[in-house]
Amino acid sequence: MNDSIQSLHWSFNYNHGAQKPFYAEEFLKLLHEIQINTQNDVFNDEQPEYIKQVYEILPNFWKGYSRTNEALAIGNVVIERKHENSHNWYYNVHYQNTSSGENIRFNFRCRDDVYRTLLDSWQVDVQNKSGDRYSKMELNGNLISDTEIQLYINDFQIAAGTVDNSSPLTCNWALYDVIPSILSDKRQLDFSVEIALLDDLEHLRQKCNLGYLDSIREPLPLDGYFLYGEGLLPSYWWVDTNKTVVIVSTVFETLVLKEITRGVS
Amino acid sequence: MNEHPNILFINTDQHSWDAISAYGNPYLNTPNIDLLHQNGTSFTKSYCTDPVCAAARSSWATGLYTSETGVPFNGGQLHTDIPDIGQILRNNGYRAFHCGKWHVPGRNVRDSFEVLYYGNQQIGAGGAAYYDSASTHAVADFLTKYDSNEPFYLQIGYIDPHDVCEYLHNHEEKHIPNPLEQGILTEDDLPPLPENFNYDERETVLHRVCRRIDGALIHDRILQAVKNWDEFHWRYFKWNYYRFIEKVDAEIGRVLSILKQTPFCENTVIIFSADHGEACGSHQLFQKFALYEEEIRVPFIISCLGDGFQIKKNKLDDTHFVSGVDLFPTICDYASIDIPEICQGMSLRPLVEGKDKPWREYAYIESNYWGRSIVTDDYKYITEYKPRNIEDFLPPGPDSERLGLVQLFDRHDDPWETANLVDSPEHQEAINSCRDKLFQQESRLNKQEIVHQNPMRTITNWGNRLREYWTHGK
Repeated sequence: MNDSIQSLHWSFNYNHGAQKPFYAEEFLKLLHEIQINTQNDVFNDEQPEYIKQVYEILPNFWKGYSRTNEALAIGNVVIERKHENSHNWYYNVHYQNTSSGENIRFNFRCRDDVYRTLLDSWQVDVQNKSGDRYSKMELNGNLISDTEIQLYINDFQIAAGTVDNSSPLTCNWALYDVIPSILSDKRQLDFSVEIALLDDLEHLRQKCNLGYLDSIREPLPLDGYFLYGEGLLPSYWWVDTNKTVVIVSTVFETLVLKEITRGVS
Repeated sequence: MNEHPNILFINTDQHSWDAISAYGNPYLNTPNIDLLHQNGTSFTKSYCTDPVCAAARSSWATGLYTSETGVPFNGGQLHTDIPDIGQILRNNGYRAFHCGKWHVPGRNVRDSFEVLYYGNQQIGAGGAAYYDSASTHAVADFLTKYDSNEPFYLQIGYIDPHDVCEYLHNHEEKHIPNPLEQGILTEDDLPPLPENFNYDERETVLHRVCRRIDGALIHDRILQAVKNWDEFHWRYFKWNYYRFIEKVDAEIGRVLSILKQTPFCENTVIIFSADHGEACGSHQLFQKFALYEEEIRVPFIISCLGDGFQIKKNKLDDTHFVSGVDLFPTICDYASIDIPEICQGMSLRPLVEGKDKPWREYAYIESNYWGRSIVTDDYKYITEYKPRNIEDFLPPGPDSERLGLVQLFDRHDDPWETANLVDSPEHQEAINSCRDKLFQQESRLNKQEIVHQNPMRTITNWGNRLREYWTHGK
């Protein structure tokens, strides 16, 4: 275990502070015990009609932050998507964070292209479990003429920006499919792709860049990619040989793949 | 405008005055704070009372300086007999709401405010990645549902860009390649090193012991880490800092866009400020705790998105020295509440309405219990008190016998504070004048003895280290 801990890439090595020694142990345990479920009627060379990924959220916090529970993970994300027809994917993402107390469901559709271009309308339902006055919020959004974003919060309409036509618009929760599809085998340091992101289906981030970062053999053979842009902190995305994102790390948290299911819906 | 408008106080954390695109910074984009400026008056000579979270926030809450509040550093405790702004407003017909970061130790936010959102594990110093977005959701929910006839005061405590502290902590135990080595940015993407990256080492003993020496009292592990940084690490640090600010700007934008759609838009005065700044490589420092401009000078904007108030719009006020103690009386003034006599601050409302008013000639700032600064139009004066041999836990000053080392900077010739004029014969009069102002200001303070065990322990421990340095030079 110690050698493995030493070999953690800087972009996801948070084996320090309050996490010592539990962070690396938990991280590597998750990584080595990824549960892979393949339904009978899906074969390796077939495009699955349904994919579900479960990620544990590990904190990268400094030890000054208190954690009252013993478990290292502070929540999880379940990303489900199914092929609705030959043109679209439907996403249902469930994000639970015990630190913020927020429990969020994202529902949206994307075009079946390499950028998973965001389509028509979407919904975000937020429940707050922290016990204060704020208990829930509903956000609905839609695209007007493919570029103008309109949001409705508790039925109040607000403008959320206009997408620069030169970049495809996607959502951060679709990057789990976008990054493997457009960056796999692109291991050149000078290669990058510009996209627009609707972050959490709320905040438009224009001119975001995706590019190649590094490749590693330990603890798993992985290719790393970065994402940065205006209003975004750099994040690092690590993809395995099956083109599955297994680690996503930012300055504050690391998402580690716990389970993946491929099959029919 | 009616006599009881709604008041929205939006604050960010660790946000230096110049990190706003409307003021000409080309390395970040803050369209929403810019909107506040375009619809209001920005004070360019705005200073926090103390460059650390809890201390500065105790001044916001009370209108007092930090040697009065009982919170002269993060581990302090607000004296129980001092009323806070939530209590004052609630006693005078307002609904007072809080959302996000509070960080005034010794005062339970729920005792003074109706709390919209305070996090599942309570919001402490950081955690913007989770709490800021949730705070915006909470405020969106509030603004779209509030149907009371009573006026509201709502304070939103955003944490970013404070999470840049996490960026720094991440360097403590591992080497992170600079961004050029990472291959994700080019040199052209990075802001330059600050003009005052190199600095005059004739600093106060307090500053050296807290921030410079091996085994420094504050964040020594980060200090050791940054010693291994190259130029690009420092520049990337600033690049990241600006991204944190852009993130929180987007949250502010969401609040403003919702407010615009509500019936409250015309009748809500918006105040925007930050508790303290961020060194970001100036004087080769990181974070706060120091009395240089980057750490103590903060944004302060009074704004309204409609025309419901007589507020000069798109105006930079570079005349008046503004302090964190002015927030409290400004809120009272807008709420038509008599300003308590003990309050040290002054209402900024007449200034944004273009009215003449006698005003202070300098800003007064404290730091790390013993540190003091006076900022005038011409000079920046920094000094310190030596710790007592037997500590009485009464915040020091005025006391000419215990003054320690001095830094003096010419604000016209040396705005970056790189040449300490303490030994210049022709500047001794300026030093004396600033010292007189310091004593004048301190004589007006209502200091109370620190009585809580935790801050007493901090004062004792820090005092021991300071005495050791004064005695042995290490």
